[in-house]
Amino acid sequence: MNTHYHLALDDDLPQSLRDLLDSTDGPAFEQALDAIVHQRERNVFRSLGQLARDLHEALRRLGAGFVREGVAHVAADARQQLDAVLEMSAQAANRSLDFAERMRPDADALVQHALAVMERTAADDPALPLARRALEFGLATRTALADMVLAQSWQDLSGQRIHRVAAFIGSVESALLELVRLTGELAGEEAPGTAPPVSGQADADRLLAEFGF
Amino acid sequence: MRPVENMLDKDMRILVVDDFSTMRRIVRNLLIDLGVRPKSIQEADDGNNAMAILRNVRFDLVITDWNMPNMSGIDLLRSIREWDKTKTLPVLMVTAENNREQIIAAAQAGVNGFVVKPFSAATLEQKINRIFERLAVSEAGA
Repeated sequence: MNTHYHLALDDDLPQSLRDLLDSTDGPAFEQALDAIVHQRERNVFRSLGQLARDLHEALRRLGAGFVREGVAHVAADARQQLDAVLEMSAQAANRSLDFAERMRPDADALVQHALAVMERTAADDPALPLARRALEFGLATRTALADMVLAQSWQDLSGQRIHRVAAFIGSVESALLELVRLTGELAGEEAPGTAPPVSGQADADRLLAEFGF
Repeated sequence: MRPVENMLDKDMRILVVDDFSTMRRIVRNLLIDLGVRPKSIQEADDGNNAMAILRNVRFDLVITDWNMPNMSGIDLLRSIREWDKTKTLPVLMVTAENNREQIIAAAQAGVNGFVVKPFSAATLEQKINRIFERLAVSEAGA
């Protein structure tokens, strides 16, 4: 069996490893193999630790709130702020729509009355120019109200973008929580269920230390 | 804003589907500007609620947004085409994006018209008229 491995392996392997593979001492072979595996694990954990620290540093740079209150809290707060913007914009758009809907019957009535006055008014009657002006104003108001209704589309268009940003924040939050959980599991420590609030660099370092970083 | 003539019947029953109440209100206002009776217009805030209404009430046209939670516009369109009683119901799809993939998917699912937000009453009228013109031609040819 050793011969088989020796033939299959490349001569670039270190002499110590080739000696080990050729060895007939089973326990020594296993012990050496364990040492290699542990060395590799340590390297992986060191890399993960560095990754977690880099991530924390990136979050710290993003804003003091992230570090002070924790990712979960900041993400939830960001979503609440976006919901509030959405609600306020809906209220503003609805107020404009209320106004347009309230004024439209008045504009329609003005147009009808002006037409009625124009029909029964003699050409030399001084009321005729006034009726014409009223008709023009009524028609222009109707058009302007229709334009104002249409302009409220901004609430729907901006709202859809806000929904997308909220969904993005949610996915970032999930990914960060998952990263914390995975790094904890890989370090062989009990993983936190959710990201605990971190009150500062010292707490962040303590949290990372719990995972062996 | 003149009331519509030709294809757009003022008694036409129209279901407006959008998760944003403001957009439903805007479309309702545009339709009223076009001469449709307010009582002929009903609203639903997603595809599921739209299907629930469609199972009980007969409509002449559905105007639906694409992006909605629970059941999107494209899924609503597919459900409409799958159900015997609604499979020929005209559907006008509304979207905020002029997205080629969306247009192709909607066309493959059997949409009758496609309009990009924001749109004017004149554009809406044109799209609705086009739908019923095409249906009249296909019925005449059948």
